[in-house]
Amino acid sequence: SGSGSGSARPQPLEPSLLRFLVCPLSKRPLRYEEATNELINEELGIAYPIIDGIPNMVPEAARRTHKKPPAEGSE
Amino acid sequence: EMHFGFQTVTEEERREKIYQVFENVAKKYDVMNDSMTLGIHRVWKDMLMHKMNPCPGTLLLDVAGGTGDIAFRFINYVRSVRQRQLQRKLKHHQNLSWQEIFESYQKDKFNSLGDSQVVVCDINREMLKVGKQKAQHLGYSEGLSWVLGNAEELPFDDDKFDVYTIAFGIRNVTRIDLALQEAYRVLKPGGRFLCLEFSHVSNPLLSRFYDLYSFQVIPVLGEVIAGDWKSYQYLVESIRQFPPQEELKAMIEDAGFFKVDYENLNFGIVAIHSGFKL
Repeated sequence: SGSGSGSARPQPLEPSLLRFLVCPLSKRPLRYEEATNELINEELGIAYPIIDGIPNMVPEAARRTHKKPPAEGSE
Repeated sequence: EMHFGFQTVTEEERREKIYQVFENVAKKYDVMNDSMTLGIHRVWKDMLMHKMNPCPGTLLLDVAGGTGDIAFRFINYVRSVRQRQLQRKLKHHQNLSWQEIFESYQKDKFNSLGDSQVVVCDINREMLKVGKQKAQHLGYSEGLSWVLGNAEELPFDDDKFDVYTIAFGIRNVTRIDLALQEAYRVLKPGGRFLCLEFSHVSNPLLSRFYDLYSFQVIPVLGEVIAGDWKSYQYLVESIRQFPPQEELKAMIEDAGFFKVDYENLNFGIVAIHSGFKL
């Protein structure tokens, strides 16, 4: 797979990484959502994107998932 | 208020400026390392690996590992240790089943890394891109993964890794104390912290030549090779601003590490600091 293939199917996450990865803010486990290729922290209601197969595990890159409001005092 | 090289900036400005530096230099990073250090950085990194002496099955977290130099060395190292293990087993034949003997001839399939794994974590997307491309180009895939993350706020669970390395990266971290705390957190009990970084030369004569080389030659090389004087000026200045050996040792101890010590390479131009989580 090469670079610059923006329109191609997104590269999936390396499965072994799920053993180690947690939310950098809460250090709690994440759920891998294949449909959007994101790592979801349900508790905080945020999702980290996986871009070119690399998970972007910085809060600046995360988006709100709008599923439920984040818990009080989560930041 | 913090320093960015010799400038005084806010914490936020510092992070941004450093991000820019590495975004700018990413594509030329390896070439510049070779030019600036006359290839000696390769020896320093080899020595780090030698000190680590990882056995197959080791889980390594390489922070600020951008272009993959440490990760690739790690993979080569455990692979050759593993090969020697297998050869020794084969020679003796006694403990191997037919299945194992058969599998050993199919080198690709027989766990050539012995379940060793390295996770490369870097905050800079461009550096990771370069690293990933290099990996593809050089044929590294098994046992290697890439994560964009912040050394001060790692996206990894507690007590997970056998070894944590940070090579020529800690100097660019804004809150070193936080990075050290995070390193401690993610290491398993018994795990090892290893830091390879530019340090302080105490010998006055050598120090004079080193300063001359740093401030007169390196930024020029930066301009000629990477078209970027300022980034390399930052680099040189940041080395001068970084804590010397004993101070860094104390900071590592403050984070909870035990048996902390350091080894000077090339009279302190570079030092390897080591500590253990007990």
